[in-house]
Amino acid sequence: MSYQFQWSVLWSGQSGSWLLQGVLTTLGISALAWILAAALGTLSGALRTVPWRPLRAAAVVYVEFFRNVPLLVWMFFWYFGVPPLLPRPVQDWLFNHGAEFWAGMFALGVYHGARMSEVIRSGIQSIPRTQFEASVAMGLTTFQAYRLVIVPIALRLIVPPATNESLNLLKNSSVALTISVAELTFQTRQIETYTAKAIEALTAGTLIYLVLCVSIAAVMAWVERRFRIPGLIARGG
Amino acid sequence: MKRLLSTLVALTLLAAAVPVFAETTLEKIGRTGTLTIGTRRGSPPFGFVNKSNEWVGFSIDLVEQAIKPVIERKLGKSIKVEKKESTPATRIPLLTSNAVDLIAETMTDTRPRRESVDFSLTFFVTGAQFLVKKGSPIHGIQDIAGKRIAAQQGSTNARIIRERVPGAQLREFPDQPAAFQALAQGQVDAYTNDGIQLAGLKAKAPNSAEWEIVGDFYSYEPYGMAMRKNDSDFRQVVNVGLMEAIESGKYAELYEKWFGPKGEVPYPLTPENKRFLQMQVAPK
Repeated sequence: MSYQFQWSVLWSGQSGSWLLQGVLTTLGISALAWILAAALGTLSGALRTVPWRPLRAAAVVYVEFFRNVPLLVWMFFWYFGVPPLLPRPVQDWLFNHGAEFWAGMFALGVYHGARMSEVIRSGIQSIPRTQFEASVAMGLTTFQAYRLVIVPIALRLIVPPATNESLNLLKNSSVALTISVAELTFQTRQIETYTAKAIEALTAGTLIYLVLCVSIAAVMAWVERRFRIPGLIARGG
Repeated sequence: MKRLLSTLVALTLLAAAVPVFAETTLEKIGRTGTLTIGTRRGSPPFGFVNKSNEWVGFSIDLVEQAIKPVIERKLGKSIKVEKKESTPATRIPLLTSNAVDLIAETMTDTRPRRESVDFSLTFFVTGAQFLVKKGSPIHGIQDIAGKRIAAQQGSTNARIIRERVPGAQLREFPDQPAAFQALAQGQVDAYTNDGIQLAGLKAKAPNSAEWEIVGDFYSYEPYGMAMRKNDSDFRQVVNVGLMEAIESGKYAELYEKWFGPKGEVPYPLTPENKRFLQMQVAPK
């Protein structure tokens, strides 16, 4: 009665090319979403600390609205909610050109941007206030002080929690299968459909996620070492 | 790191090698007094949540009214049926992990699946068709090249389309409601699934008349109940339950309840299918 393992299903037939396609889609959607999340996160994280209330309020609204609604809902929102607002020919064009990929990308990017924003805010707020005051005293405008001093230091400080967020983003990209994006988890299920070998397919998917995540963590650790400011930030492990 | 890895590998091998609790399904049911089935919440009329929020359906009735009595007779004690949600992606793992004992929903019996699980007799026969908006240019599988077609993830239909019409743009959704939403909003041009499922969906849709089921069956979908492999005593009671129901008219009664003119999804039993069901019944 015990389960019969048959690992060859992972390399026989089309499984290999499906897994490869899945990995490429996962990496593609995650990379684009990460860029969006990093941009939105840095912007709104910085805005939450600026000495001007309306900007702070706008950033708060963005963060609280987007991080407190489940990602699954955002997937449906971008896929089912947004297209009907566009003219019919534009919709048709989008649906023929991978609308689900872009909807998934926006859902992931905007959701994780809100989470990234808090990471960046905590980085900025951990920099002593005097640093900002010293920059302004040197003759920099507020914008210049942020661009040249505060944000560059904050970005270095937040590498470990940002790594965490990035890994979450990669893994959360699997939620996009609910709107028919053929990413890695989708493809492992596909293998299961064709071979009825669920445990082998899931194991392959798990190992691939593990390898991707460990690689990203390694890259981020390198970034942390490469860009640290000697004397300013305690040495990393 | 290396040691950690080898420990992990060793553990995995160990887990694979040790036969997990050599208990047959009947022994398990006898011990726990419960038959746990995997079924659907969103596949009317096989398994679905009705208007009064009860989890009911044709497949569930077959288990409760045809199979459960035979198990009780065999075990000499009364048992209860517990329902868990299963989907195409989870049903085989649910079985092999012992989380459920029997899959009673809308699972097509296929040869690759028989490598992993055992199937009961066929208790329902259907085939794949398309659901489209009335007046759509799609009239069957011959018209779908270049069109956006929704299918259910893990279903046999998606697989057939991929093989037979590689030009179709397949969009696979994990569940029926999402696929139907995509069809309703124009994300896709048609939704393909087993004809009976589409009939169920159409019957439940708010504007039923707007939708049309088109095309000849482009696949053969015999539904069976799935159970763990190599447990022929359990399989025997499940099959006897189904055979007795077909013989005694219980099956016809349940069919009438769900698929009759007043049923959830009107879908007359063709003489051909009726004959096929009867011919599966082994003599007493």
